[in-house]
Order: sequence, then C-alpha cells, then structure tokens
Amino acid sequence: MERDPLSYLPHGISFRFIDRILELIPEERIVALKNVTVNDPHLQDHFPGNPIMPGVLLLEAMAQASGLLLPEGSSALLAQVKEARFRRPVVPGDQVRIEAARRGGLGMLHRFEARAFVDSALIAEAEIVLAVTNPAGEAKE
Amino acid sequence: MNEIVQRVRTLLSTRLKLAKAVDGITDETPLFAPNGLGLDSIDALELVLGLEKEFGVVVEDRETAIKVLASIKTIADFIQTQGKG
Repeated sequence: MERDPLSYLPHGISFRFIDRILELIPEERIVALKNVTVNDPHLQDHFPGNPIMPGVLLLEAMAQASGLLLPEGSSALLAQVKEARFRRPVVPGDQVRIEAARRGGLGMLHRFEARAFVDSALIAEAEIVLAVTNPAGEAKE
Repeated sequence: MNEIVQRVRTLLSTRLKLAKAVDGITDETPLFAPNGLGLDSIDALELVLGLEKEFGVVVEDRETAIKVLASIKTIADFIQTQGKG
C-alpha cells in the first residue's frame, strides 16, 4: 500500500494542521484541507466564548503544506515569513483550503507562496522560506 | 557597466532594505563576510530571485551563488557575461 504523504509530516498529531491532501505534485504544488472545529484545543482559549483560529496557526498550516513539497526525506525548519496577510477570521465550521507552490530555492533554502481559502474567499496568504536541515533536501536549482 | 553596477546597488538597497549600508560599501566589499556587509543565506536567496526578476539571469546552484554574489562587482560581471543588463 502506498504510504500516506501526510505521514511524512514530522509533527505530533496535536501540532498537525493539515487534515487531508487533495492534490500533490512533489516540489511543485499542493492543495490541502484543514477542518476547524470548536473543540480544537487552541480554540478553547483563543478566545474564551469567541473561538477564532490563531493567525500564527494558519501560517503554521501553510508552512506544513509547503513542507510536504520538499524532496522526500527532508527535515526542515521555518526560516522566513514575508508578506503575510490575514484577511478575515477563521471560525469553527470553516474548512480551510490551503494552496502552496514552490517558487525557487538556493542550497538548503526553499521558497513557497501559500494561500488559504474558506469557500472561495482568500482568507490568508504568505511567502514562506523553509530551511532543510539534512542533505536529502538540498535545492537542485 | 557603470549602469549595471548602479542597478545592482539599487537591487541590494531595495530588495534587502539596506540602503544606508549599501551606500557605504565599495564595489569590491565582500557581501557575505562578517567584515563586509554580513549578508546571510536568506539574503542570498532573495538576491538570486531579484537578479532573475530584474536582469533575467539565473544563478543555478549554491556553488555558482558563492562566486557570483561575492561582491557588487562580481554580480555586475556575471550579468554582463550572461549578455544581460
């Protein structure tokens, strides 16, 4: 049986912000889903009585989606976030669709453009650079 | 050539937000050495993307980048040998 690409995420289950991969072209482009529910632990306190998915966790979800585009066997850390925008709050019941595309790289650095949508509305976007920490992931161009 | 050098300086100033620092260095100052401009690998990626966008030149890999991005002069020379600029 083919291995589930989601299992390549090194994060423990409580820090995984991708639920499903809809489309994956390695080192090019990914479309993934994150479902937001009222009993997500971080929504209990952000904010009490007014649950909103933290913007930093939307960024994390976009970074995790980007990380799934790295060459197989890569380990990586977040190196840069630019032009991040959060256009409207994400609340329980929302299904966030994340699209990320690789846009160049150099040595151990890979650059991505990521966007997040709820229904068809763009709700967040960022340029993300990931630094791979092992030779498997070195950028070829 | 002087025009290319000037455009490379503008690229460094705007893309890396280093206007003042760039005014204070010569065309031969090392860009990455601690005794030069002290740029890092993320700056290098930013420059490679900027060079491609601004001049249409492609820096293929890390080894090329180390040579090409040594100083303002080496960047300008590279653009010229690629027939761009």
